[in-house]
Amino acid sequence: MTDRLTAQEAARWADRAGLPLEEERHAVVAATADHIAAVVSTLRELELGETAPGAWPAGWEAADVTL
Amino acid sequence: MSPFELTIAEASAAIGRRELSPVELTASVLARIEAVEGPLQAYAAVLAESARASAAEAEREIAAGRHRGPLHGIPFGLKDLIDVAGLPTGAGSRARDGHLATADSGVAARLARAGAILVGKTHTHEFAYGLTTPQTRNAWDAGRIAGGSSGGSAVAVAAGTALFALGTDTGGSIRVPAALNGVVGLKPTYGLVSRHGVVPLSWSLDHVGPITRTVADAALVLPALAGHDPRDPASRPAAAFRPAPGGDLRGLRVGVPVNHYFEHVAPAVEGAVRAAVGRLADLGAEPVEVEIPYARYVQATQWGLMVPEATAYHEPTLRATPDRYAPDVRVLLEAGALIPAADHVRARRARTLMRQAWASLFERVDLIAAPAVPMTAVPAGQESVAWADGTVEAVSDAYVRLSAPANITGVPALTLPVGHDESGLPIGMQLIGRALAEATVLRAGSAYESAYGRAGLPAPAAA
Repeated sequence: MTDRLTAQEAARWADRAGLPLEEERHAVVAATADHIAAVVSTLRELELGETAPGAWPAGWEAADVTL
Repeated sequence: MSPFELTIAEASAAIGRRELSPVELTASVLARIEAVEGPLQAYAAVLAESARASAAEAEREIAAGRHRGPLHGIPFGLKDLIDVAGLPTGAGSRARDGHLATADSGVAARLARAGAILVGKTHTHEFAYGLTTPQTRNAWDAGRIAGGSSGGSAVAVAAGTALFALGTDTGGSIRVPAALNGVVGLKPTYGLVSRHGVVPLSWSLDHVGPITRTVADAALVLPALAGHDPRDPASRPAAAFRPAPGGDLRGLRVGVPVNHYFEHVAPAVEGAVRAAVGRLADLGAEPVEVEIPYARYVQATQWGLMVPEATAYHEPTLRATPDRYAPDVRVLLEAGALIPAADHVRARRARTLMRQAWASLFERVDLIAAPAVPMTAVPAGQESVAWADGTVEAVSDAYVRLSAPANITGVPALTLPVGHDESGLPIGMQLIGRALAEATVLRAGSAYESAYGRAGLPAPAAA
């Protein structure tokens, strides 16, 4: 997990992302973004090597679409 | 028995024999809505007049010898995330105030062509971004959650206020409410059913599918929904579904997970699902222990895909009218803007690994049988669940946990009722198949249902 996001950082990141936040939103959004980042950062453990992104279902290529 | 209590198969057969008219059936469903909708709140809008008119038209056609098929004259509900021309698609949100759909969604058009009778739009958790559907009450216990996000659809089917309904499923939103209300829910293969005209939550995870009272009924609805639609970029060319002949499960290899699906699961749920797997074996299936690959990364992959995609879709509305979102949804959408693109791409690459590993898994087994959800419907307002080892989990995370793998990998997954817990609440078993193997999933579910399932009657709490 990375360092915790401060309310000020959340405000600046949101500005940079083109979605400026009202001041009272900064702390709650920072906390939620931290929680999401903590979950998503688990993926950094994976050895992805040459793996490319893909969206098609598991086994799709081999499936008989005519059933 | 009143007509609203019939399954699609029964009602359709009776209509075909001219023993039941679509007008009579629709009147029975509308009367049922009058009787139970007040406390349940499954519907965002009931379309009584247009339903009666459509039923009269169906009756005339059938009387003239033009019976379109098994859905002709059958009343159904559509999740209020799915466009119908001339109606608002409320998406459970004030952010959609004033919306009016100008055209039918792909699935609404297909069901209209099949002659089905739209009786109303069902409640969804706001923009499908949640697992409770707070507007709606559970059909078995009004003090408990309906589940979500297709909560209105599942409750309508369970309560007899629709013979079937459509839901959407990004992380379990068909299967979770179906399981919590004791009905059948099918998330088809990614790309089999068009999402055109359906408000997205996460394009790469979203699916549309049926909620029914029986597996046999799901097999009747799916052919009407499946098919290529060039307006949905994920739609598979030549996508089609034809049911396979059912019955015998001899030789069917059913994977029973040794990890993930039976971890942090309520004892009553585990017991009911393991007993159901035993019954599949009694019907000839061969249980095979399997290890679920990359289980540790399921939640991270799901969130890494869904959260930024949801924010991307909502960005303009979030900028213009943020106050119109409910607090739980608003904060997730806002926080999604702070997730680095590198994390999103990492999730897309992780999905490739999972997809490859699941394809290998399906070389060893034909199906995977597992709980649909780790626990039955929780009381409304409960936000977390404590497991026996002291772990505390958010209710929404728990409900998504066993559904998400089929969203990430895109493979078909069915939930069907297999028992009740000590409070009498329904328990769902999930049957997961390889891509485009809906026929196998439905055949196994149907064989179980024929041998052991209840007859598809509405939930007793709503009776």
